[in-house]
Amino acid sequence: MEQILQVFISGIFSGGVYALVSVGLALIFGIIGLVNFAHGEYLMLAMYFAYWMYNIIGLDPYQSLLINLAVMAIIGYLTYKIIMERVLEADHSIQIILTLALSMVLQNLALMLWKADYRNIRIDMTTDTTHIGFLTLSTPRVVAFVIAIGASVLLYMFLQKTYTGAAMRAVAQNGKAAQLMGINLKRTYGLAFTIGITLVGLAGLLLSPIYPAFPLVGSNFSTLAFIVVVIGGLTSIPGAIMGGLLIGVVESFAGYFAGPAYQQAAYFLLFILVLIFKPNGLFGRS
Amino acid sequence: MINKLLSKNNSVLWIIALASIIVPFFLPNRYFQDIAVMTFLWAGLACSWNLYSGYCNRLSIGHAAYLGIGAYSSTLLYVNFGISPWIGMLAGGAISAVAALIIGGTTLRLKGTFFVLSTIAFAEILKVMTITSKDITKGALGVFIPYEPGFSNMIWASKIPYAFLTWIYMIIVLLICVKMERSKLGYSLIAVGENQEAAENLGVNSSRTMLIAFVMSAVLTSFGGTIYAQYIMFIEPTSVMSLMNSINFILLAITGGMGTAFGPMVGSFILTPISNLLRGYLSSVSGLHTFVLGLILIAILLFRPDGILPQLKLFFNGLIKKSKATKGV
Repeated sequence: MEQILQVFISGIFSGGVYALVSVGLALIFGIIGLVNFAHGEYLMLAMYFAYWMYNIIGLDPYQSLLINLAVMAIIGYLTYKIIMERVLEADHSIQIILTLALSMVLQNLALMLWKADYRNIRIDMTTDTTHIGFLTLSTPRVVAFVIAIGASVLLYMFLQKTYTGAAMRAVAQNGKAAQLMGINLKRTYGLAFTIGITLVGLAGLLLSPIYPAFPLVGSNFSTLAFIVVVIGGLTSIPGAIMGGLLIGVVESFAGYFAGPAYQQAAYFLLFILVLIFKPNGLFGRS
Repeated sequence: MINKLLSKNNSVLWIIALASIIVPFFLPNRYFQDIAVMTFLWAGLACSWNLYSGYCNRLSIGHAAYLGIGAYSSTLLYVNFGISPWIGMLAGGAISAVAALIIGGTTLRLKGTFFVLSTIAFAEILKVMTITSKDITKGALGVFIPYEPGFSNMIWASKIPYAFLTWIYMIIVLLICVKMERSKLGYSLIAVGENQEAAENLGVNSSRTMLIAFVMSAVLTSFGGTIYAQYIMFIEPTSVMSLMNSINFILLAITGGMGTAFGPMVGSFILTPISNLLRGYLSSVSGLHTFVLGLILIAILLFRPDGILPQLKLFFNGLIKKSKATKGV
């Protein structure tokens, strides 16, 4: 029983980061209607950035947090301006292939610049553990979980409570009508994309003490995030948070009972079941 | 406008397709002949993909699954039971048809991004199944095909027979696509692709139309999978069923022009040689060739989202008009 609980809790904790990755995607997908298959690659970039900051300047990922987020925001904004803005009106299939191509480009750029080696950040905290009752948890995972959920909730509050947030939700509901009400559509899109990329950058940063950085590290996260977003009901931020936690738990149990090879298959299966039986998502409104 | 161009200039494209078999004979060595074989094979594969996804405008990013089914079915039958790959090819086609019926039956009604994601999910599940059922597939180790040349083994010492085989495969797929384009199925499929509701209101049975085309596309892809396995003589789940292979179908089709019979062929004729040559010459920097391919794809999508074929057609049309004009004078 204790073991089951441990598996459950460790699933919840990895789910926190999945939630953060997916919240960014839900924002981009929900507000701009843009399908971004290169989402995970930005996570990879942030992990590399954290690694270089640690290796060259000696700042650990938590110390380089602000500068890392600023860099990710700039990269996100530039991506939006240079590429995404041109395909806002395009067919979904064009957007999908374009972002797949972008992910090819970013992955192989990383491969060319930094080789395929795994780059680990070993700070003191990496091997630290935290004890809660009889549960033993790795400290960086706890930190990642707390910050990830905190950031996701902050984003939700931002969308609910601020004027800009309300404008974003209005654009998500009906872009043309929102524009007629005096909302600058393109600026809102740009902001949503930038926030989404910054959040996935934060996720990469939080993962960097636990996970090695390598060129393909993001590829699993893109599909995972899409699955989470679909399960969560597409545009819903709380749905994405719940979906992320759920996928974390499913993955954790599949790994425990069936073996690591089945982790991915398990959430893909869950995804297909959701698509067939609850196409609006487990947490979405019909 | 584009449709008009299509009917007018298919003859030129047929000539290019048919004449392309001469090319391997003029290539100096096995390295370049290998590129020709891969070009024909991928032309056939991309056309097979296009048969559903191109005409119906619904992306499948999971076609590596059918490539894998074709490759594994024939290879396992051949290696374990000595059954000729020619028969294995048909068996693979049958298994792919069943898989496509199941997958298509559950996912074809999904819209847009949902369908795309479900194709990725199914392909990934199939890949994991292939890796984990080690008793049958040898898992991640992969399967070697013993080198025993002979027609019945679909193995040859020279590259030329492979060039013929892949070329015939490409021509057959093209014939099927062209035939389908002009059939009730083809018209229904294009109509569904443009506007499903409108097509249904006009009496098109959209789910049946999509399912038939999806199964056809899967079976043709699976045939290509068998040829691929017999040519490479080694198959392994993470390379055959990789997402990158699934993307390659789309890359070629998009470059040439989706939803046209010859577009994917043109895409493969242009991109497969470029891709292989880049891989050959830029091999010192790993990643550079895929990086360049990605940039090409982005450029095409941003500036020529219809693909290269319409441009080519305009070019041919211009030539024909010119020659007519000079004759007139």
